[in-house]
Amino acid sequence: MSAREQILGKIEPLAEIKHPGAFQGASEDFDFKASLELVGARMVSPEELERIFPNRQRLEKTLDGLSLAEVEVLEIDGAFGVAENGAIWLTEEALPHRVAPFICQHLVIHVQKIVPNMHAAYEELTNQTTGFGLFLAGPSKTADIEQSLVIGAHGARSLTVVIHA
Amino acid sequence: MLSHSEASENFIADAERTDWHDETLWFVRAKRDKASKVLPEWEALREHASQVKDHTLANLGEYLVAFEAKANANGIHVHWAADAAEHNAIVHKIIADQGSKILVKSKSMLTEECHLNDYLAEKGIEVVDTDLGERIVQFRNEAPSHIVLPAIHLKKEDVGETFHKHLGTPKGNKDPQFLTEAARQHLRGHFLASEVAITGVNFAIAETGEFVVCTNEGNADMGAHLAKVHIACMGIEKIIPKRADLAVFLRLLARSATGQLITTYSSHFHKPREGQEMHIVLLDNGRTRQLADPKYKNSLKCIRCAACFNTCPVYRRSGGHSYHQPVAGPIGSILAPNIDKKANADLPFASTLCGSCSNVCPVKINIHEQLWFWRQDLMAAGLAPIGKSIGMKLMAYTLAHPAIYRLGGSLLRRFSGLLNSGLNPWYKQREMPQAPKESFQEWYKKR
Repeated sequence: MSAREQILGKIEPLAEIKHPGAFQGASEDFDFKASLELVGARMVSPEELERIFPNRQRLEKTLDGLSLAEVEVLEIDGAFGVAENGAIWLTEEALPHRVAPFICQHLVIHVQKIVPNMHAAYEELTNQTTGFGLFLAGPSKTADIEQSLVIGAHGARSLTVVIHA
Repeated sequence: MLSHSEASENFIADAERTDWHDETLWFVRAKRDKASKVLPEWEALREHASQVKDHTLANLGEYLVAFEAKANANGIHVHWAADAAEHNAIVHKIIADQGSKILVKSKSMLTEECHLNDYLAEKGIEVVDTDLGERIVQFRNEAPSHIVLPAIHLKKEDVGETFHKHLGTPKGNKDPQFLTEAARQHLRGHFLASEVAITGVNFAIAETGEFVVCTNEGNADMGAHLAKVHIACMGIEKIIPKRADLAVFLRLLARSATGQLITTYSSHFHKPREGQEMHIVLLDNGRTRQLADPKYKNSLKCIRCAACFNTCPVYRRSGGHSYHQPVAGPIGSILAPNIDKKANADLPFASTLCGSCSNVCPVKINIHEQLWFWRQDLMAAGLAPIGKSIGMKLMAYTLAHPAIYRLGGSLLRRFSGLLNSGLNPWYKQREMPQAPKESFQEWYKKR
């Protein structure tokens, strides 16, 4: 008997418990900018961006993720931001390669739209069929050494967000 | 193997370090409190998450089959493994087909449960753990001591020493920023070179066939997106029905774990990228047995946030290694006996049954009650420590027989040295109260 049959055979249906449905009563009063700050991102105006990162790059689609290993500052478009936690939804369609927002040293994301919380975020994603997408909240970080927060573990060392909403 | 109490004795021998460990984890617990109290709907979220998990477990077979069908349609290869040996063999075959001798792996407690690294090492394949904390403990040939903070038992001096030895960082340098940078450079080389990447899975969605991996460092993504082959390993209990359910779980997970609003990266793997091979291994390894037992099935709701570790007065003062299991703490103490009752018979006793674990659990697992259920099962199965067995029987007998109770009381009052000795395990590290000259009954009769 295959492992599949074995496992499924051992699972007895339990007394039915209903799925609770959509979550009701979620708070909506969140400030995207405040959340961005909490997750360690920096928010700038288009003019400031010009001054800080004059040499940022927008890159063409590539199948070769390794070719992005030397990218210093990458500029991309986020689909929307989530006010409650500062996360930005990205899909591979808007990325040069799936590894792009991780492998670059610094990341710049433009955000056109903000939703209040994660429930609203997944409502946006109802018909999403992208092969890869992610919520990205701030720069890469770790606190694995004595709980000391260090920014820039393996992914981008900084996240700069420009809000156009 | 040392039992939990024996290993704890070694851990607390260094009082200063024990205090540091205790306070550091309590600090994480306090951050969780702060993050949860910002949301007025926190308790409703916990209840909702608990109900979604209850519903999923009640229909687990159906959801697994639905997930498999969707994932297959998305171009992901789905494998089933009944136990750890099958899991390891499946993973090994995928790697061998690719011809790799070295690979990167992000955090996966399931692969720890299966001892995958050791298994692959025997086959001549090196696994490079890429989570910073996991890399540190891997260098030291230790197991992670916490499922979210794998190196929380170490001080920065220890990490400095370890990196000096393995990465050639200057001797004596213990600056976390510097050491993290050294690890970044070291691991980047492995990310760029590895053709196979293994990751864990936080959630798998039956409705869409996608799976979600959460990290703060970005190591899972660095590995998976550069490798030709991505293998994701998950327990069958990681399934949730719908994508929209993620909203509730992602709101709870990071807030419960570290007090963060959300992990830095919550990656949704739906289809392999062009030219990539993607595999998912679904592991049982005792989970169906747990599911069939009404007393313990709830433990399968766990989302591995480790809030119960951070709040546990026993975990904080005994350290993760004392639990001799990949998943330590209160949740580990109710999961481990299901896999091996005899080897883990000590763990359900490593608790004060204070109930704090159940109170912080984001999916409302009745952890402290299950600890108590396990104690009863283990006593009944004759697996409790012999001293405890005899002690409990003696106590039950004494309490049931008033004459013996009175005689025992009067003897102990007269020879209180018996209580203040090695014969009494409770005496260790405690000051026993002075025994009164007479019992209440004796005093009352004299009036």
